[in-house]
Amino acid sequence: MADFEQAVGEEVLLIDDELWEQLIELTDGAAALCFQCGVCTATCPWGLVRQKPLSVRTLMRQAQLGLREKNGSLWLCTTCAQCEAHCPRGVNIADVFRSLRTVAWENRNPEKGLPSLLWSIFWNDNPWSQPPTQRALWANNLDIPIFNPQEHEVMLYIGCTSSYDQRAQKIASALVHILRGAGVEFGFLGEEEPCCGEAVLSVGHKHYFEEVAAKTAQVFQERGVTRLVTISPHCYDVFHNHYPPFSNGFQPLHYTQYLVNLITEGRLQFMKPLDLQVTFQDPCYLGRINETYQAPREILKSIPGVELVEMENSAEEALCCGGGGGRMWLETPLGERFSDLRVEQAVQTGADILATACPFCVACLEDSLKVRKTESFEVRDIAEIAVRAL
Amino acid sequence: MVSSLYGIGRERKSIWVYLEVESGGLAGVSLELIAKGRQICNQLGWQLAGLLLGYQVGELVADSFAYGLDEVWLGDDALLEYFTIEAYSRASFQALMAAKPSVFLLGATPNGRDLAGRLAVRLRTGLNADCTDLYMNPQDERLVCEVSGFGGGVLALIEMAQHRPQMATVRPGVFSPGELDRKNVGKIIPISLDLTEDVIKTRLVERSIGEQVDLTRVPVLVAGGRGVDGDFKMLAQLAQLLGGEIGATRPPVDEGHITRERQIGQTGVVSNPKVAICCGISGAFHFVVGIEKADIVIAINSDPEAPIFDYADYCIVGDVHQIVPTLIEILSAELEVSIG
Repeated sequence: MADFEQAVGEEVLLIDDELWEQLIELTDGAAALCFQCGVCTATCPWGLVRQKPLSVRTLMRQAQLGLREKNGSLWLCTTCAQCEAHCPRGVNIADVFRSLRTVAWENRNPEKGLPSLLWSIFWNDNPWSQPPTQRALWANNLDIPIFNPQEHEVMLYIGCTSSYDQRAQKIASALVHILRGAGVEFGFLGEEEPCCGEAVLSVGHKHYFEEVAAKTAQVFQERGVTRLVTISPHCYDVFHNHYPPFSNGFQPLHYTQYLVNLITEGRLQFMKPLDLQVTFQDPCYLGRINETYQAPREILKSIPGVELVEMENSAEEALCCGGGGGRMWLETPLGERFSDLRVEQAVQTGADILATACPFCVACLEDSLKVRKTESFEVRDIAEIAVRAL
Repeated sequence: MVSSLYGIGRERKSIWVYLEVESGGLAGVSLELIAKGRQICNQLGWQLAGLLLGYQVGELVADSFAYGLDEVWLGDDALLEYFTIEAYSRASFQALMAAKPSVFLLGATPNGRDLAGRLAVRLRTGLNADCTDLYMNPQDERLVCEVSGFGGGVLALIEMAQHRPQMATVRPGVFSPGELDRKNVGKIIPISLDLTEDVIKTRLVERSIGEQVDLTRVPVLVAGGRGVDGDFKMLAQLAQLLGGEIGATRPPVDEGHITRERQIGQTGVVSNPKVAICCGISGAFHFVVGIEKADIVIAINSDPEAPIFDYADYCIVGDVHQIVPTLIEILSAELEVSIG
């Protein structure tokens, strides 16, 4: 290689056959479909905040050819799938990114700060470096029974963030009250609830994710879990799309999907009018990636007095909060945070509340709102709004 | 299990401390280990010795006696001017094999860790690394070392049954240094060295000291959030009086009041200070992750409902702009009294 470089007087990129084969295997040949139109780069939200957008197309080309990614932009992708929504060839672009990250891990070249995330899951079974024994502390006063398949209709899967982050714990508590209000028989796994591993998959360590998923699936199998309701769309996504088929009847649901069922069945009714204008942030992993746009909106509409107003970009075009793809554990420089733009769009609607249905969205949007110092405007999870209307 | 080069039968009842030289003086952790070693030796009636390596370091010997050593094994040689693992491990090994102490303690500093690991292998003995406490079991004369694992979630107490010396590296700041007593004198024992230049495979090309602070290891961290309204001068004053450093949540960093290197939290530094003082910080989870390993958390916030209070050992409800200046005033006055 050095000889070539000397001969042509500039950097030479060489095709790595082994890498090429590896990527085809990891992605099921996803990148091969790409015909390099560049719509991905044009639609990528990084273009909204950076002079030089994230060149998704270049990375796709490198993946097609087996060239090594060199400029570090690999870790920017929030896997929001905005590009996938527009890709004329239907390429699973986020998965190509995850696979390129898998290769980076194998070459011991991950982004700084991410190894400690994986170690935390390894030691503590959560990505937040929190003691596993304190996982169920938040629920001490709620008296939630441990899940028993003979007695309970569903298992409520809390997730690591809602178990440990005080802000997100409020979402979990709200949901517990809503389920009780609807007379749902449910339980949880308490401090023995295992991590879903989504953080591992999102930073692209596919091999370790398989281990985490197998372990967690085994716990679910042993506990007789079939119907499972998650708080985070990220947990829901891995259970729904990336877990091995460990039981025939396994049916993971995001809580918004489950609540809509309860409303349709007449079990959940909101009696108290709220008199609120609400706008809704579609979490990427609920909306674009799992095509659940209506469930959260239907919950909001079924609350008397709630008026739903849409933001400039909504549903398929919703702007990512910036927290996916492992970016919750990486710093994003000032001026490059999608959530700043999103909060601006939300305030423009004139709504009282920016609602969402994901603990990561809540954390990112609330951070941006704090910096913006807007009075009388709130970021709330749908569960937190719905519980007020019981 | 392989036996150590010398065992219980051949040990000399003494504790050795590795005296690390830092900018011309004895490193703080070495003084701390002398104080701890002195305490154990007094309890057992043992000798306390120091191992001092360097070039023209003779003048540090008097200090080490004044801090409580009975003897100093001195290796003074131009080839020991800078720490190189080859020369230092060779010299230490020779000295240890000549004296055969029961216990050998080093500071868990970058060089101390490097040296300890290599010596333990060479001596075929064990090493309790990164200890947070030490005590001696007087019945069987075994050193009990406390080591924390799994992010501090578990404490292990480790003894070495057969192997000698009982080696340990100890985290700086765990023990307090003793008082200086110039009346104490001891014995200097020169180490016969057989160092040659070709032993040393490391060449010192350039020595540069970074300006960056390592916030993971400061004793006192004074962190500010949006509530301090950018007044980090005030916090720096408090930090200085307490021998600490300042840090911040993300918003003050974004607003340019303080550098990005001092951002505390999940995407910044995870700090393990003895005391963390959180000023005007609401306590968002991704910040709290960065200070919850502190031994003591003191929070000052005007909002009694602020989540930070759930993580704090001491909760002060009030305006940081009134409380911090008062603290500074009281601390300065106390300092003047103690100096005066």
